[in-house]
Amino acid sequence: MVNARFLLRQVTGAKRQCTVFVLCVALSMITLVSLGSFRESVESSLLRDAQSLHAADIIIKSHSPVPPGLERKLAALRDRREITSARFWEFYSVVQKPSADASLLCNIKVVEPGYPFYGSVRLASGRPFEKVLAPGSLVVEQALLDRLRLKIGDPLMIGNAVLTVKDVVVQEPDRPVNFFALGPRVFVAAADRATLALIGKGSRVEHVTLVKVTDPPRLERIASELRAATGNDGRVRVETYKNAGSRVKRFFDNLLFFLNLSGIFTLLLSGFGIQSTLFALLKEQERTIAVMKALGARSRFIIGHFLGLTLILGLLGTVAGLAGSFALQRYLPALFSGLIPAQVTLQVSTSAILQGMAIGLLVVLLFTALPLYRLKEVKPRAIFGKEDTAALWNRSTWIIASLGALFFLSMVLIRLRDLKTGLYFMLSLVSLILISYLLAWVTLHFLKRSQPKNLALRQALKGLFRPHNASLSIMVTLSAAFAVIFAINLVEKNLNATFIESFPPGAPNVFFIDIQPGQRDAFARMIGPGGAFYPIVKGNVTAVNEIPIDQAQERKSRGDNLAREMNLTYREYLLPDERIESGETLFRKDWTEPQVSVLDTVVKMHDMKVGDRVSFRVQGLPITARVSSVRTRTSSGFSPFFYFVFPDSVLSQAPQTFFAAVRVDKAGISALQNRVVSAFPNVSVIDLTETVTVFGKIMLRLSSIVRFFTSFSVIAGVLIIISSVFATRYARIQEAVYFTILGARRAFVLKVFAAENLVLGLVSGVIALLISQLGSLIICRKGLDMTYEPYLGESLLLLLATTLLVMFVGLAVALPILYQKPVAFLREQSEE
Amino acid sequence: MFNLRFFTITILFAFLLVSCQKEKEPAAVNATEKPAPRGTIVAFGDSLTAGYGVPETDAYPAQLERRLNQAGYKWRVVNAGISGETSTGALARVEWILKLAPDIVVLETGANDGLRGQPPELTRKNIERIVTALQAKNVVVVLAGMQMLTNMGSPYRDKFVAIYPRVAKERKLILVPFFLDKVAGEENLNLSDGIHPNPQGYAIVTETIFPYVLQAIKLKTGS
Repeated sequence: MVNARFLLRQVTGAKRQCTVFVLCVALSMITLVSLGSFRESVESSLLRDAQSLHAADIIIKSHSPVPPGLERKLAALRDRREITSARFWEFYSVVQKPSADASLLCNIKVVEPGYPFYGSVRLASGRPFEKVLAPGSLVVEQALLDRLRLKIGDPLMIGNAVLTVKDVVVQEPDRPVNFFALGPRVFVAAADRATLALIGKGSRVEHVTLVKVTDPPRLERIASELRAATGNDGRVRVETYKNAGSRVKRFFDNLLFFLNLSGIFTLLLSGFGIQSTLFALLKEQERTIAVMKALGARSRFIIGHFLGLTLILGLLGTVAGLAGSFALQRYLPALFSGLIPAQVTLQVSTSAILQGMAIGLLVVLLFTALPLYRLKEVKPRAIFGKEDTAALWNRSTWIIASLGALFFLSMVLIRLRDLKTGLYFMLSLVSLILISYLLAWVTLHFLKRSQPKNLALRQALKGLFRPHNASLSIMVTLSAAFAVIFAINLVEKNLNATFIESFPPGAPNVFFIDIQPGQRDAFARMIGPGGAFYPIVKGNVTAVNEIPIDQAQERKSRGDNLAREMNLTYREYLLPDERIESGETLFRKDWTEPQVSVLDTVVKMHDMKVGDRVSFRVQGLPITARVSSVRTRTSSGFSPFFYFVFPDSVLSQAPQTFFAAVRVDKAGISALQNRVVSAFPNVSVIDLTETVTVFGKIMLRLSSIVRFFTSFSVIAGVLIIISSVFATRYARIQEAVYFTILGARRAFVLKVFAAENLVLGLVSGVIALLISQLGSLIICRKGLDMTYEPYLGESLLLLLATTLLVMFVGLAVALPILYQKPVAFLREQSEE
Repeated sequence: MFNLRFFTITILFAFLLVSCQKEKEPAAVNATEKPAPRGTIVAFGDSLTAGYGVPETDAYPAQLERRLNQAGYKWRVVNAGISGETSTGALARVEWILKLAPDIVVLETGANDGLRGQPPELTRKNIERIVTALQAKNVVVVLAGMQMLTNMGSPYRDKFVAIYPRVAKERKLILVPFFLDKVAGEENLNLSDGIHPNPQGYAIVTETIFPYVLQAIKLKTGS
């Protein structure tokens, strides 16, 4: 029988602890529900972005018309209204003015009505694309008008057809994934396809069929049916917007992974908070429990009562958390204006609430299980303050810990939908706690033996080892929690550096290929300062350590391989986005034979290390070079990279061309292209302005999302830690009173407390830093497959911040006591 | 569509990607039995010569050498193809080609000029200058004629196609009317990109140019 009056008395008797407990639950609820709702909105928004990047759900590509089997399958699916489809044909053609006095290579896209299914083609006039692109019309990029000196309404000859320019395209949804273009875009209506007479035998045309699935959950099934209908024709590629590999897609995947991870991390932080507050709460109640036991109460009765208490507090926290989530929801849209597409409704979703409540309840039960269970171990003699500490890891503890592990594993599995990642996550969680425990234990052991001269510090250290102290568990909790916070920060910084900072506002947007050595200087003068030139020498790898490259085997590789012709280069320095991964310097001064620095990608393709010898054939000439270093790239932007870099002396005399990357204002691109084409007709121009801009925007948007999630989990985590420090500090107050009674001055007591908290904060912070560095390295390298930067400066700042945080929170609790008369506290104690 | 690690440069040169230099015949066993080659033929060209996407032993220079040897002509054929090279690039490495001391050069260039829509006049001038440099060193030049893709539009195609017969006539070169005769546009003779021959396609290319190379050998050796 649960006694309501008893429960009420417990709540009123330990108001502060109860408040902290409720706060922890509420905070974790807010985090779970808000993050959950927001994550759902963001996920659907990201998938929508991915859809519009491909303009469809399923994309079928080939260099010839769709095979009859696939055509029949498409027709059948259309008849059953399972899909709608639209085709387009993309190719290069030299268009000219009807007067034949000017011509230009253009990237033609002949589209059927319906294109694009997702996203939209934006026109300068603002009119709808499908209305403008009527038969006989053209929609072109501004660059074409500039370069051919045409205006809207002028005729243009494409193939055998003379069509009229009707509008200018400003944005094309699927341009970023098909960004490689040697000429400006021209849209032609499919009705004019036959008149063009450009598609047929002897043409190089990409035939694309876009498919929109009526019932989205059937996407994968329909895609595999379509794949089966290709009859294993390797020339036809069937991809879905979800699996069509692209840089943006990879970032989306990484981002979703990160969001899920930060959700689970936040849950973990809440758990730590809940557990430590409950421990503190129950510690306070030890005497009451001992008295109850002395009067004959059974453990089951006591546990039942405290479980009841926990659940009531948990419920209060849940209600407060939900109220908080709704309040926060009012501000979220304002926070994210422009971040989330207008059509995404940002609201607390029912599923997120239910999920949040269920998970919240589980977390409360799970993290309270251990403290509650340990009530069993409170002996009646605790009334005299002399009970023994029970062994921490007995059978029950293991059972509770295993249940906890199982719970988190299922959480991870639900969120990440990947058993391997789930197991890795669990393994890392267990390691996190074990390593924290081990390091904290070693440090405490070491501190126990130290005898500092300073009295305050000595007292502070003694304070850490007072009987029934909770120093070890506080340290483990703090280290694990800080490690999680640090890791979230470090991973975010690395995500940022790899993806977002790869698209800085000044990144090159125009690329020139095939500049001949004799043209280089004149070309550099024309484009002005700021252009970067990269020499390119074509060559093949023939052997590694004298073992010939197995061409057939290499070609079977799914990724890149060494059997193809390589673009080699020479220079004596690292590029800004390069870092030496192994080897001392780019090239060794003490080696006299030819050297080569290889990119880490090459090492993944074929096993090789510093000191190995790689043989090349550079346009008929054999060169064997010793690997002097392995480089890695720190960004994934549009900057050029080379697998093999030689010193000047080895390659500078070989036949070569130059590649130039330049930043040009959008307005000046056409003029520059005209100047380049007339002075250097052999040089081809690749204008990536639109792609760079679109990528830049997407990355910036995603960066804000990442930052929001990071700061949200970090703030929630810090608050939870504050509350738990708050809770565990209560025991120290007693000590402050005793110091004061013994005649210590306020300043001294303050110093002792500050020192004790400083040691706790610093030790936990250092342990957290070590663990988080290791953890983030593994997450970045293995989970996200990107390079890792340790950000030592920022890490030390974080360490400083957390140490100060622990110190000040600890002091904040003790401070009011110092200004109270000790007798007031003692009276309060005895009244309890 | 594109892979992170396989990016900028590689992609920027998307249709200029792969080439394989011709490996010399596995010489170890036959070296002593084989008579020294009577002359050197350099296959000077772009990806169509280099053998984009096929093993180097299947590209036309290797097949041509085998074909010549079968016919009793012990000539060496050097693959000096570079994928993605335009005629301007070819002109820039004529000196390098001459270092190989060729007796005969099969010159196959210009396709990439056409794919990039470069002015046919530029291509013609480049080829003329290459031929001038080669002829100055007494090299017999076999010029591989090229067609252009249908999608580039007939006005451009017509101008482009006319380059080869004109240069051949003016410089008195041996002209292969169309290097990819019976191969271009044939799905089963090309890789999935539709423009580079597969090994079977190269077998036909070899047969196409074989008689012209014989003609060049006769001219060079005076037999």
